[in-house]
Amino acid sequence: MMTGNRLITIARKEFFDHIRSRKFLLIFGILLIVAVVGLIGGVTEYNKEIKSYNEHQSMVNSPLSSYMPEKPSILSVFSSVATYLIFVGGILGIAMGFDLVSKEKESKSLKILLSHPVYRDEVINGKALGGIAALAGALAVVLVIAFATLLIYGIVPDSSELILIAVFGGVSFLLIFSYFAIALFMSTVMDESGSALIYTIIIFIVLSVLVPTLANDTVMEYIIGSQPELPQELIDQMQRSANSTEENTFSFSSKVNTGAWDAYNERVQAYWEKRQAMGDTFALFSPTMNYEAITMAITSGRSRPMQVISIGNGVATSFAVASVDDVAVGDIFGNIAPNLIALILFPAVFFGLAYVRFMRLDVR
Amino acid sequence: MIQLEHLTKEYNGVRAVNDLTADIPDGEIFGLLGPNGAGKSTTILMLVGLIEPTAGNCRVNGLDVARDPVNVKQQIGYMPEDVGFYATMSAEENLRYFGRLYGMDFPAIAKRSSELLSLVGLDGVTKDVGGYSKGMRQRLGLAKALLNDPAVIILDEPTANLDPQGVADYRRIIRDVAREGKTVVVSSHILEEVSKVSTSVGILSAGKLVAQGSWKDLAREISLTSTSHVTIIIETKDPMPEFRHPDIISIDYERDRCGAVVLARSDIRDEIAFHLAENNICLRGLSREGLSLEETFLSYYHIAG
Repeated sequence: MMTGNRLITIARKEFFDHIRSRKFLLIFGILLIVAVVGLIGGVTEYNKEIKSYNEHQSMVNSPLSSYMPEKPSILSVFSSVATYLIFVGGILGIAMGFDLVSKEKESKSLKILLSHPVYRDEVINGKALGGIAALAGALAVVLVIAFATLLIYGIVPDSSELILIAVFGGVSFLLIFSYFAIALFMSTVMDESGSALIYTIIIFIVLSVLVPTLANDTVMEYIIGSQPELPQELIDQMQRSANSTEENTFSFSSKVNTGAWDAYNERVQAYWEKRQAMGDTFALFSPTMNYEAITMAITSGRSRPMQVISIGNGVATSFAVASVDDVAVGDIFGNIAPNLIALILFPAVFFGLAYVRFMRLDVR
Repeated sequence: MIQLEHLTKEYNGVRAVNDLTADIPDGEIFGLLGPNGAGKSTTILMLVGLIEPTAGNCRVNGLDVARDPVNVKQQIGYMPEDVGFYATMSAEENLRYFGRLYGMDFPAIAKRSSELLSLVGLDGVTKDVGGYSKGMRQRLGLAKALLNDPAVIILDEPTANLDPQGVADYRRIIRDVAREGKTVVVSSHILEEVSKVSTSVGILSAGKLVAQGSWKDLAREISLTSTSHVTIIIETKDPMPEFRHPDIISIDYERDRCGAVVLARSDIRDEIAFHLAENNICLRGLSREGLSLEETFLSYYHIAG
């Protein structure tokens, strides 16, 4: 028998096992419900933004109009879907993978299966392929429903938006597949499905809660220290400027030492760039954070959220860490490339580990 | 057909199978016997290609199991001791899946499955395997082992969960299969079971093959070398007079003294015959009782120990 045929035989069985299993149907049902709820919420919000945008449009020639807002993106509809997918999708991936091998060890069917003329890589690849097909099918259904919802509300995406919706579907698949691959690996390591599930959930919590926590403000400050203090000289100058009632605020810059201010600004800039780089590095180890970064870029056109930074002494300002301006669709891929690569590498690494472990498994 | 050459398997430095060499010819029903932990299942797992030997190799029809596992498995039908199937599938669905892995087409699988399920008494059972008793799983395991019409059938503790009817069916099936020229390896610790179906046996002790041959050959060999007690049966026409000998441990006479069972430290049949002739007693029978299966097995086991 051809290798491909055996692989397909195993993959087909695994696929049907998944889509017939109660746990898959239950979580998939929940996924559909939250996706539809998220979509309806997203569409309502999008319609409000469109209405506001149209009002601004009608005032474009008015002398009262001081700025022209960006046209809201259809992709913003998917932002709340992404929020739900992080957890429900992660759980779906774990539920589909945690007992793929361990259940067969427990029921002793693995011994029977491997006594047949199949190579071990065909078995593990077939299991992964069956799981991938079921996951892809589940996400395809979600995307079709999402698309149908958009059409029902009279929202018709253009070609570039369709591409981004497809990318959204692809990265959502990668997120779920990441947790599926982790669960599959734990399933090959553990002899019991219960243990595999518990360890996978621990990894899920570490990657989706602990790593983002490590990348947050408090921990970052602990690791790389606080933001540089505003020099006393500048504080004094600013206070003098604030106290002088006869001067208007526009003359602030003439009252402070611009050389010292520029030097301080550079130090702050360097500090936040370092902090951002470290945060981004942490994020690369978390499929959840990579997914958040990518979906944020897709749904809002921004590479990362604008940060408002307090610089102390009652003086507050907003500070652009990196580009927070809306990014052209073509540039989005450039901005999300590291996250996208990390999101592809993550399941690949865990699937590789599962593969190696399965190939060396002693079946007793 | 099956050759095991210096087969060795170590787990964490402990040898489960130690330099095992054996030859099992075509058409043989070979019983692999041994107490728990002797290395029977480990030997079988290496033979089926489920675990890799630490040293040595197994060959089936000249093919090395480690180097050519897929082609070897194509010729093997295997039933493990703890038979596991896919619980949410019926017997037929399980056989269909495994048949596909053997490369059989659907009509061939359907025909063969139907025949085999009927043979093992599971025809008409449509429920999922999850609802099967252990005995039913074992029957299905036997059907699965025969699915691809293999040249070699390897069965690990095949009657462990079978009822008497199931055991009788199993024996009949195994004998029929052997008559077709197939080689059958049966691993068991149930001596009686192995003795009833096997044409030759191998006795494993502490991972080593301590004896191989037919039961008769092994028993004869033990009786010749054994230093243990001997049981002699005497039958005479007339009542026997008293007989004394330093090697006698005990004599149990029948009530009419025309028969006795002698337990002695050595084979003293010549001395008994001479004594009876001296006393003009007509001797009707003088035999040494053969070793039981258990005595033979335990003798080898103790020799190895």
